[in-house]
Parts: sequence; C-alpha cells; structure tokens
Amino acid sequence: MKATLKKGLVMWLTALLLMLTLGVMPAYAAGELDLYTKHASIAVTPGEKISYSLEVINNTSSIQTGRLSVSGLPSDWTYSLQSSSYSIDRISVKPESTETITLRVEVPYLVDKGTYSFNVNVDGISKLPLTITVTEQGIYSTELTVDQPNLQGHAKSNFNFSAKLENQSADTQNYALQYTAEPGWRVEFKVSGDSVTAVQVDPFASQTISINVTPPDQVEAGTYKIPIRAVNNDTSVETELEVVITGSYALKLSTPSGVLSADITAGGEKKLDLTVQNTGTIELKNINLSSVSPTNWEVTFEPAVIESLPAGETVNVQAIVKADKASIAGDYVASITARTSETSDSAVFRITVETSMLWGLIGVLIILVVIGGIYYLIRKYGRR
Amino acid sequence: MNKRTFWVIVRKEVADYLHSWRFFILVGIIMLTCLGSLYTALSAISSSAAAADARIEFLFLRLFTVSNGTVPSFLSFITFLGPLLGIGLGFDAINSERNKGTLSRILAQPVPRDYVINAKFVAALAVIGTLFLALGLLVMGLGIIVTGIELSFEEFLRIISYLLMSLVYVAFWLNLAILFSVLFKQPATAALAGIAVWLFFSVFYNMIVELLGNALAPSEVTLESLLNYESIMMFLMRLSPSYLFGEVTTTLLYPTVNTLGSSILASQNEMFMIPDTPLSFLQSLLVSWPQLTAMIAATLICFAISYYIFMRQEIRSRS
Repeated sequence: MKATLKKGLVMWLTALLLMLTLGVMPAYAAGELDLYTKHASIAVTPGEKISYSLEVINNTSSIQTGRLSVSGLPSDWTYSLQSSSYSIDRISVKPESTETITLRVEVPYLVDKGTYSFNVNVDGISKLPLTITVTEQGIYSTELTVDQPNLQGHAKSNFNFSAKLENQSADTQNYALQYTAEPGWRVEFKVSGDSVTAVQVDPFASQTISINVTPPDQVEAGTYKIPIRAVNNDTSVETELEVVITGSYALKLSTPSGVLSADITAGGEKKLDLTVQNTGTIELKNINLSSVSPTNWEVTFEPAVIESLPAGETVNVQAIVKADKASIAGDYVASITARTSETSDSAVFRITVETSMLWGLIGVLIILVVIGGIYYLIRKYGRR
Repeated sequence: MNKRTFWVIVRKEVADYLHSWRFFILVGIIMLTCLGSLYTALSAISSSAAAADARIEFLFLRLFTVSNGTVPSFLSFITFLGPLLGIGLGFDAINSERNKGTLSRILAQPVPRDYVINAKFVAALAVIGTLFLALGLLVMGLGIIVTGIELSFEEFLRIISYLLMSLVYVAFWLNLAILFSVLFKQPATAALAGIAVWLFFSVFYNMIVELLGNALAPSEVTLESLLNYESIMMFLMRLSPSYLFGEVTTTLLYPTVNTLGSSILASQNEMFMIPDTPLSFLQSLLVSWPQLTAMIAATLICFAISYYIFMRQEIRSRS
C-alpha cells in the first residue's frame, strides 16, 4: 500500500517538475490564442481583392504572443496580414482580450473556377479554415478586341478599324504591334492620332488603337485578311481584320495625241478631241465633263455625260471651245475635268488666242483705198 | 514720157541731199545719239541679263529698248529725232526750187509735172531708208559682236519691220514737210511750220490731253464710265502720230505686249492668262495693225494732198 503511495508521489513530483520546467520556458505553447472571423466562406470573381477582418482572442490570464501564417493558398495568389497599417507576422494579445487584424487576399485574374480552401495558422497550428469560391473562369491577362473587324470599300478608300487592347495583369505592359499583310498593303497603328509601333498599357487598363489600312493602288477586288498581334515577352494576342475591296475607281482624261495645247482665233470656235479612259477595275457611271475657262468663253462637250464606261475602255469626247470675241491675244489656261461621284481627272490646256485676220484685211483695204485715191490723182493731173 | 527721166531726177535729188551740209548735220546727230544709246544699252543689257538668270526671250530686242538711264534708248531717239530728219529733208523741196527759178526750168523740159514731186519724195525716202537700214544693221552687228547673243530669225523680222515702220513714220513727217513746202513760198516758214507741228505733238500734245483728261474724268466711278473715259482718252492720244508710232514699236519690240486696247478689259482676262508669254511675230503685227494702217494711211494722205495742191499750182518763171 505504502509502495503504491510512494509510486504515486514520485509520479506527481515528476509531473510537478515537468510543469515547473515548462513554466519557466516562454509561453509558446499552443492553444492560448484563438482566431475568429465572420466570413468563413465567401464567393468572389477572378481579380477581386478580399479583405478579412480577423479577431485574435486571448483566453488566458497572461499576455500571449503567437506567430501568424497562412497555408494552403495556391502559389500565384498573394496575401498579406496587416494590423493598423503594418504588415505583421506575429501578434501579442493582452490577457482576456482580443485584437483585430486584417488579412488581404488577392484572387488572380488567371484562375480556374472552383473552391479554394486555406488555413490561417497560429504557431503552425491551424486555427481558422477559410474557403473562397471562385464563381467564374478566370480570363487571360491581355485581350485584343476589334469592334467591327470587317470593312468594305473600293481600292482607293481607307479602312479604319478601332481595336481595344486590355491589360488585365497587375503590371504595366508594353506591347509591340504587328501585322501580316501582302506586299503593298499599308497598315498603320495609331494611338490618339499618332502613329505607333508599340503601346504601353497600365495595369487593369485598356488602350484604344485605331488601325488604318490602305490597300495598294491596283488592288483587285476581293476579301483580304490581315492578322494583327499585340506581343510582349509574356503574352501574345491576335485578332484578324477583314477588308473587302469592291474595285478601284480611276479615270484618265487626255487627248489622242497627248498634246495639251491648241490655237484659237478670238471669237472663233475650236474642236478639241479628248479621250476619257477608265483606268480602274470597275465600271464607271455618269462621267460628267466640265471646264474652268476664261471669262465669257464657252466650252461645250459632245457628249456632255458619258453614261457608262467599262473598266479599261476608252471613249472619245469632243470639246467645243468658243473664245470670247474680245479676247486678247496670248496664252490662256483652260482646264477640263471628267468627274464621277467616285473619282475625277482633269487636263489643263494651254490655248493660244490669235487675233482675227479680219481687221488686218480691213486695214489693208483702207490702205488700198488711199493708194487708189493717189492713183486717181495721178491719172487726173499727172500727165498735163 | 519714159521712166528714165523720173529716175534721172531721183538720182539728181539723192546726189543733192548727199552733198548738202544739212544732211551731214542731221545724219551726224542721229548717228551719234544712236551709237550713244547702243553703248548704254550694251552696258545695261549685261546687268539685266544677269539679274534674271533664267533664259530671257528676245534678249536681242532689248538692245533697241533698254537704257541705263543716262542716255535714252535707240527706240526713243528714233521716235524723237525721226520727225526732225523728215522735216529737215522735206521743208524746202518745192519752194526753194521755185524761189531759185529752177522749177520752171525743169518743167520747160519734156518732163511731166508730177515727176518732180514724186522724185523728191522717193529720193528723200531712199536716203532715209538707206540711213535707217544702215543704222539698224549697225546696231545689230555691233550687238552681236559685243554681246555674243544669237539673233533669231523672228528677232530679225521684228527689227526689220521696226525699221520699216520708222521709215513710214519719218515718211509721214517728210510728206508733211513737202506739203508745207508746197503751201508756203518761203522755206523758213515751211520749216517753222513743220517744226511747230513736231513740237506740238512731241511735247505739248501730251499736256493738252492730260488737261482734257482731268476735265473729262468721270465724277461717278462705275465700270461703264471708266471704260468710256478710257476710250475717249485713248482716242485723243491716238490722234498723235508719235503715239501711234510708239504703240506700233512697243508691240514689235516687246513680244509680250498683247494688247493696245483697254487696260480694264485686259485685266478681266488676266486671271486665265499665262503671263509674259511672247506672241508670234504675225500676232504682234496684228495687235498693232490698226495703228499701222493709220500711220500708212496718214502718210499716203499727206502725200496725196501735197500732190493735189502742187499739181494745181501755177508755175511761172521768175520775173
């Protein structure tokens, strides 16, 4: 009986000793600090920032200090623990008291839909399991969109696309702008009016890029695809522009011989032979002929309107120029323009006006009359 | 009744002119002034050619028109002194013969009466023509030697026709002088009358027209009134033979002059015209054709009047 009692005493003493030894050590022992938050499980969208308010509770009658850590978060998620604007990793709480700290978690954009669990630990011991549910599939960090990727026009028109480049990463990104097009095509990227080859986009911001596409002069009708890319080290986004060429409008006004000068007598009429050639790739309709000529001159065309002219064809037109009677001798400029609603061409003529010979003949006549008078005098009086 | 007698008289008249002091003095004056003007033209032409380093069309014509300011140009000398030459050679054509009594002696021969006046006119014209042609060719030749500018055919045509027009102009004054010599018995009176007319047209006429112009100037300025006024002024100016001659020479020696008409109407057309383009020779001639006609006609009419009066005059041997 005595021996069992002794045995019990030894055990008790040992326990006491142990307790004493432990009591001397700093109170790192777990269990003294507890964590609490209202939002144990929340639903968010990618890219959102969550701010938890955590209460750290000290149930003991002595000051407790604990190391805080977060475990179980995916590696590309970021978090931070803050207390009154400081980032912390250890906290002390007064006896029978609570402290509030903030846990910030950033959900990345590039994240899969699903439920993510993690723990907040005090001294490595899980105290608070938290759950975040991502409700949507995360998106890529860069996006290039074009409002209207298909445009139609004739060969001489300009095609203006408007693209939007979105940077959804947390860093400022520089993108090189590239395109692939057949030779002769010109593609120009413009940001707020200036031509650019690269563009910088702030985090979570977007940049509007207007893309100016000029087809080559003699482009054939058809559909052309132009891929454009925004590239940097990390990402590359691509979209495709589509240009539909309906055909080019062009015409040429000249004369059969190519000579652009003419002589005309003041008050007289002159017929100028003109040729109108359709140099485009599409039929021209309603070609109007008009002229800019000196005051009081009349220029009429035969025919005045060419109803239609197929591509590559040439038609002859006659311009009847009627000079003013009072025109002064000299070289004049008259320009003749052939115009459709799509295109026009003009030819500038140098027209030399010559004085009419009529008055010269009248002058000669006057002199002849005078000479005749003298002859009469000589006949009458001469041979006396 | 044969042509030979006519040419005999012409030859005699030419010989008379060439042996007279009067002719030498007149030729001396004209030669000197023209060579002086050629000298100034030669010095001015190099600077004007250098100033506009672009190709100058009709540069050669400038020999006749350009001057450096000290001595007037060839053109203005001929305009001014030509009449003097005409008057100088013609003022005593008939009346001195009459006063010396030689006229009745000539007519005592079997010579038609009109041969006398015709021969006088032809002889004077031949002398003046030769003189002008010589002067013109001299200027051309010296110009080519000194400047080395090529003479184009059109320039040559223009210069020759200018010389011919000068001849017509001088012929006008010659005829006027012959007319006075027929009208007035005293050579001095005829000379004075001729010089008076010459002075009147070359000096006073401009002033009178200017005075008239001030009086006639429209009070209300409209296009119509301006055109009207301009045409009146132009008509008055063109009554002067020297003005007509000036217009003709301007068109002949300045190929870019394309109108002698209203400057207001000309400015209307300016917008569409290519400036400073030279006209062809024929066009220049046509531009000044009315003036040309008027000058030739005036010369011929002067001749006709003096012819008519001379033929009806009584010729007696001196008592």
